[in-house]
Amino acid sequence: MALNNNRTKGALLGASILALAGLGSLPALAADAQEIIRDRCLACHTESGDADNPSFSRISDLRKTPEGWQMTLNRMQHLRDLEISTEEKRTVIKYLSDHQGLAPEESAPFRYLLEQDTNRVEVGIDENVMQMCARCHSAARIGLQRRTEDEWQTLVDFHMAQFPGIELHAGSRDRPWYHLAHDETAVKLAEMYPLVTPEWNDWKKADKASLMGRWRVLGYIPAKGEFSAWMTAAKTGEDRYSLELEGNYADGAVIEGKGNATVFTGYEWRGTITIDSVKMRQVMAADKNGQMMDGRMFLAAEDEIGGELRAVKDTGDAQVVAVMPTYLKAGESAELVIVGQNLDGDIDLGDGVSVDKIIARSKDRIVVAATAAGDTGVNTVKVGSADSDVALNVYEQVARVDVTPVNAISRIGGNGGEMEKIRATYRAIGYSAGADGEPGTEDDVRLGYMPASWSIEPADEIAEHDKDHLYAGEITPAGMFIPGDAGPNPERKMSANNVGRLNVVATVDDGGNAVEGRGSMLVSVPDFVERVLD
Amino acid sequence: MKHLKSLNKKAQLINKAISPEEVEDVVAMQTVVGCTATTDPGWELDPFGGLGSLCQPMESDLYGCADACWWPAQVPDTMNTYPDWNKDVAKADEDWRKLDGIYEDGE
Repeated sequence: MALNNNRTKGALLGASILALAGLGSLPALAADAQEIIRDRCLACHTESGDADNPSFSRISDLRKTPEGWQMTLNRMQHLRDLEISTEEKRTVIKYLSDHQGLAPEESAPFRYLLEQDTNRVEVGIDENVMQMCARCHSAARIGLQRRTEDEWQTLVDFHMAQFPGIELHAGSRDRPWYHLAHDETAVKLAEMYPLVTPEWNDWKKADKASLMGRWRVLGYIPAKGEFSAWMTAAKTGEDRYSLELEGNYADGAVIEGKGNATVFTGYEWRGTITIDSVKMRQVMAADKNGQMMDGRMFLAAEDEIGGELRAVKDTGDAQVVAVMPTYLKAGESAELVIVGQNLDGDIDLGDGVSVDKIIARSKDRIVVAATAAGDTGVNTVKVGSADSDVALNVYEQVARVDVTPVNAISRIGGNGGEMEKIRATYRAIGYSAGADGEPGTEDDVRLGYMPASWSIEPADEIAEHDKDHLYAGEITPAGMFIPGDAGPNPERKMSANNVGRLNVVATVDDGGNAVEGRGSMLVSVPDFVERVLD
Repeated sequence: MKHLKSLNKKAQLINKAISPEEVEDVVAMQTVVGCTATTDPGWELDPFGGLGSLCQPMESDLYGCADACWWPAQVPDTMNTYPDWNKDVAKADEDWRKLDGIYEDGE
């Protein structure tokens, strides 16, 4: 399966804020942004306060992520005829994200939306928010905003005016929707997500770490696999970096890329990097010390297709960062790749695990052949005196396989139409049963991502009756689900679309013992409105 | 009512949901991010978490829903926000290939 995405138009979208990364030099000074706001926005908005510390009506009563501010400006352009150049827009988004952004603690619960990792069912959502907001949007989209009570109520009024049908939906028409939304939900949102918070006040005052330097990067690219690399971030302007990435996939094949990144709000890393001629986006959050970044990298034009991304800064100290794979079956031998920085000295994979041969060795990557002869357990991978909390799981049996994502959606497309197919990509995670010997309990030990063979099956009797598994799509050996063609299908009852409800089945071969895991796949109709954040 | 027999699949499903509370529970069901849970009927899923009560094929009744901004986060509402979305596609069930998405930004 080639990585090349099939959704070129999506590039215009998913990219959006991320496209801000690294193009030209920006007039990043706040004064420039304030002047742009005065020039472009004050036909409708008003200014008050000091000239050096101005307040703009409505604008100053909100805090948002970079993507959130971009959506605001997009909406102003589309609905309110805002005229603004691309460069001016970038400057305003950077300024607003830096001065009216979200603190790391505030964005932390909802990073999956920023990372476009949306094949999931949100949990722990306030019931009121679920019924009022999250029945059309992700709950994260709301949770990534901070507003005054007036602003939350004005948002209700905007919805009422822009989408009058909202009062007629199920969940609206049978109760005083406007009153509930305006006088109860909005008030509650102002308590849950207020404009002024201690977290933001603290973050505004905090020193922000520079993210310039060398980073040990670990990631996963669907259909390509896990990789480790060095990524160098060279400063090109205020909060702007050029990127060079060089490393290896787990099988040793070379990975190389070049790109750019911008840091918003002191910790929001947004990178664009071209790897093997495919443009990818990086969305990561830096920790407060600027020593570690976590997030996701995905195809610029198809944000569903991506994987985890982690970067650990090279501080000159010795550190073990990862081992690939993260497991070794007791009684067996396997090749392991130890990834780190400044690695020197003896390799210790824990009691009962012997290093039979060092196949390749450098300061940052060691390939060994190892045998697990002893007890099962979670061992720490040690190299000399390097820091390490990297675990090698020695196991006897794969007792359980989870499929990730557990809940996913794909969308029919293609077939000569304008809308492209929305695919999904899967991985299998193996677990041992833990001390109680029972799989599916809390003490199960996560062994790590495992190779699997993939298949689909109808989700239930109705899906089987409707032959969803024959029409709704197929899955490749690499775990890429490709939905069916768009359009009415005369072969199906009432010429139904090629939609369906399926289970995606992963089968892991554990020494001749097949262990299965299942995920739910909803193959649906197109989403005709693609937003920066769902 | 108990003497009436439901004729189609949708009615049968509603009958199977024993109490109004149960219906509400099902309606409040969460879906994957990016889907709407406005399920009367739904866009991606029906109130019962299946596909049996959806308009299918969706092209047959698409404009009836777009005009009324029924799922404005998934289907462009032609009442206010994107009045020209389908101006060159008079019949969605015949010319569905011409229907394009709304792609925010465009930078």
